[in-house]
Amino acid sequence: MKIAIVGTGYVGLVTGTCFSETGITVTCVDIDKNKIDALKKGIVPIYEPGLAEMISRNISNDRLFFSTSLKESLLGADIVFIAVGTPPMEDGSADLKYVLDVADEIGECIDKYILIVTKSTVPVGTSEKIRGRISKKLVERNLDISFDMASNPEFLKEGAAINDFMHPDRIVVGVDSPKAKKLMERLYHAFLIQNHPIIFTDIVSSEMTKYAANAMLATRISFMNDIANLCEILGADVDEVKKGIGSDSRIGKAFLNAGCGYGGSCFPKDVKALIKIGKENGCDLELLRSVESVNQNQKQVLFKKVVTKFGKDLSNLRFAIWGLSFKPCTDDMREAPSLILINDLLNAGAEINVYDPIAMEEAKKYLNDKVNYYEDMYKVLSNCDALILVTEWQEFKVPKFTYVEKALKSKIIFDGRNIYDKKQMQDFGYEYYSIGR
Amino acid sequence: MNIAIVGTGYVGLVSGTCFAEMGINVTCIDINKDKINSLKKGIVPIYEPSLEEMVIRNLNAGRLSFSTELVSVLDSVDIVFSAVGTPPDDDGSADLKYVLEVAKTFGKHINKYTILVTKSTVPVGTANLVKEVINKEIKLRGKNISFDVASNPEFLKEGAAINDFMSPDRVIVGVETNKSKELLTKLYRPFLLNNFRVIFTDILSAEMIKYAANSMLATRISFMNDIANLCELLGADVNMVRKGIGADTRIGNKFLYPGCGYGGSCFPKDVKALIRTADNNNYSMEVLKAVEKVNSFQKSILYKKLKSHYKILKGKDIAIWGLAFKPGTDDMREATSLVTIQLLLDAGCNVKVYDPVAMEECKRRIGNVVTYATDIYDAVLDADALIVITEWKQFRLPNWKVIFKSMREAFVIDGRNIYSPGELSKLGFKYSCIGNRNCEI
Ligand SMILES: NC(=O)c1ccc[n+]([C@@H]2O[C@H](COP(=O)([O-])OP(=O)(O)OC[C@H]3O[C@@H](n4cnc5c(N)ncnc54)[C@H](O)[C@@H]3O)[C@@H](O)[C@H]2O)c1
Ligand SMILES: NC(=O)c1ccc[n+]([C@@H]2O[C@H](COP(=O)([O-])OP(=O)(O)OC[C@H]3O[C@@H](n4cnc5c(N)ncnc54)[C@H](O)[C@@H]3O)[C@@H](O)[C@H]2O)c1
Repeated sequence: MKIAIVGTGYVGLVTGTCFSETGITVTCVDIDKNKIDALKKGIVPIYEPGLAEMISRNISNDRLFFSTSLKESLLGADIVFIAVGTPPMEDGSADLKYVLDVADEIGECIDKYILIVTKSTVPVGTSEKIRGRISKKLVERNLDISFDMASNPEFLKEGAAINDFMHPDRIVVGVDSPKAKKLMERLYHAFLIQNHPIIFTDIVSSEMTKYAANAMLATRISFMNDIANLCEILGADVDEVKKGIGSDSRIGKAFLNAGCGYGGSCFPKDVKALIKIGKENGCDLELLRSVESVNQNQKQVLFKKVVTKFGKDLSNLRFAIWGLSFKPCTDDMREAPSLILINDLLNAGAEINVYDPIAMEEAKKYLNDKVNYYEDMYKVLSNCDALILVTEWQEFKVPKFTYVEKALKSKIIFDGRNIYDKKQMQDFGYEYYSIGR
Repeated sequence: MNIAIVGTGYVGLVSGTCFAEMGINVTCIDINKDKINSLKKGIVPIYEPSLEEMVIRNLNAGRLSFSTELVSVLDSVDIVFSAVGTPPDDDGSADLKYVLEVAKTFGKHINKYTILVTKSTVPVGTANLVKEVINKEIKLRGKNISFDVASNPEFLKEGAAINDFMSPDRVIVGVETNKSKELLTKLYRPFLLNNFRVIFTDILSAEMIKYAANSMLATRISFMNDIANLCELLGADVNMVRKGIGADTRIGNKFLYPGCGYGGSCFPKDVKALIRTADNNNYSMEVLKAVEKVNSFQKSILYKKLKSHYKILKGKDIAIWGLAFKPGTDDMREATSLVTIQLLLDAGCNVKVYDPVAMEECKRRIGNVVTYATDIYDAVLDADALIVITEWKQFRLPNWKVIFKSMREAFVIDGRNIYSPGELSKLGFKYSCIGNRNCEI
């Protein structure tokens, strides 16, 4: 089986590489020539554990190819995936420009039956739009070629993408023809024989599933952040509450961590987009609007704690920040809570030192020289009035506190992810602030 | 071990009976004399599968007794549970009148170390109030008697209460002394043997856990209802979406059923109370406020579906199956049926209702403004529509051919998505459900 994947970003690259790992011949296509040239040499532009080895292995086995030409890549392909970006526009709706560009291009170059699969997260109804664009091109070309559409949303998480892709909880596939269904079964054969369930449904429901899943996860987070803030006021401990409700099998343990807000390339964008879809169709998704607004507030909660401690004017104060990426194990800085915090601190006149194990280069694109970058998690603390932990990287979980207190001017820690034991921190003599406890 | 349970309502009776079943000597107390007298004879005032036989068994074994006087047993018990009602005040906050009354009695009459455990669902901070009341009473007596308070919120579900109590996902116990922790561990040891988890925590967090858990469950329902309404508009099928997201282990596949809104004695009350607690402390629970709004909207959705079908409803005969807020109970507190009936009556419809268990309760609440049918078939006779509100098992496989002939218009509005649209349309029914417009044929 031969497939092409258009858009070699996070999702496209992981998807393509993992399919090639199961024996399928894959060409990853991108318009970014530098990216493709680098990939051909085995240089991977994103940070994802295990990905680089897997890419070079499959390149040398002649199963994984990179190209800037969609037309060539489609030769002999049974399936083409669309995995280009769908960034949010000003009003929150997904920008379909790239997706529809690819659709036009496909319409311009296919010359036999092909199955077109949308993997990008696209608003409900987009697959239908793509079908229309391709049909139009075929009419212009005076060709009578049949093709099918399918929707196959991606649920991988950055930082665990390979494992998520290879061992999914479920694979959701929306189809509307038996032929398309058969092709998708063949494509996912390796997964089926390992008992990873494929949920086949109609295309519209499949598109909806992606948004609903992310929206539900975002809802869990905002729900817990609301509870955390209330716990703080009332003197309860949100970590105890998390244990208590997580043990209810109807609720489940995962995704109940209070913190300083969700970020990243998916939750904020997908929640906003779903709200927009609702609005356009006369349905006010009130619950999701509240999830969104709670998250906005939550991204400022660390800053508010700092102000409560140090006052509104932070000039002459220096803060160290541990963790910049929106979550651990990725260098993704999109919508990261660290950006809002840093911005607020700077506006209040503070000096800022930052350290992140992976995302420093990426962060420079956003922060330029507004902050001081350090390559060492202890050196970043020197002369600082407090440490603020924003991303719960593994290496922050059991730090050498003796080094920490030697470097800091005063023993003050703001923990945005509740990774330290409150009692222990007090025993160590820290002034310790966390979320909801 | 001897314990007393004050308040022999749903929670008190089930807890008391289950503790007795585990070999503990239990006295259930209530101020309602009639209730206690019936219970002494083994007559159970609420509907709960297999509760009655368990009550009788433990009465006969001498482990379970009933009384109207807490004071009479106080000297012989180690632990007193408070399981009295906490009905919502007009403003949504829980009324603590009964809980504090129990605390007062306790403080007035204990003569030795005893623990007062609050099992009722009470706002965060109540255990502290309870403690103050007791301290005050003991001081008034000029005595110095040690005691502890604890919090042990109850998670049982009406209709499955025995099973929930005997094999819970977890037991939450909030304590503030080692002594009370030891005694309560001893009490729950029989349950621990079966590998149930008892989670000990501080009292405030235990109180919060109860509200947070119910609020999260309500959030799941309102979330799915919002998604269902959008699915309907877009032509997606919410049942497929449910499967798709439920397979995500971070989300889980339980409690994702869209429908016509949640009711009952717990979710609406607890969600309101938590919102209220926060408001009182100048914090706004945005997510929960939205959950509430979505739910009250959803309770009118069946009526809206009927209205959009008929436009003019005056004089229509409407059948309703299911009155209880959920199957397995006769509880109608905050039930969607009540909202629907009111809307139908206001629009000038004639309403005929049937419920396998909750008919008496409905009569008590709304009397003869509706007609009470003898069975499901009687309910649909000459009806212009059938609205299914509660998913009782006996509604699942009715004889549709008989129903088709009986109805004036074969139109079914399924508020719980229990029927297969294909099957009904084949038989000639018009059918409408939640979150899938393609089934409306
Ligand atoms: N990143 C995630 O964790 C994640 C998870 C699930 C779903 N998604 C969704 O998958 C989609 C892709 O996300 P991403 O994070 O991989 O985006 P990305 O920005 O990392 O990658 C998009 C790539 O598409 C390329 N591209 C744009 N137009 C093109 C064209 N006409 N032809 C060929 N290539 C083109 C770009 O050069 C870029 O390399 C989005 O819809 C996103 O919402 C992302
Ligand atoms: N019903 C449920 O499914 C459920 C589940 C979990 C928690 N809860 C909570 O448990 C508590 C009790 O609920 P319920 O449904 O059992 O209430 P209920 O109304 O069925 O029972 C309360 C009982 O307490 C009695 N009572 C009131 N004051 C008393 C006093 N001073 N002394 C002795 N008895 C007194 C009343 O006569 C009544 O029989 C509430 O806080 C409720 O929120 C209920």
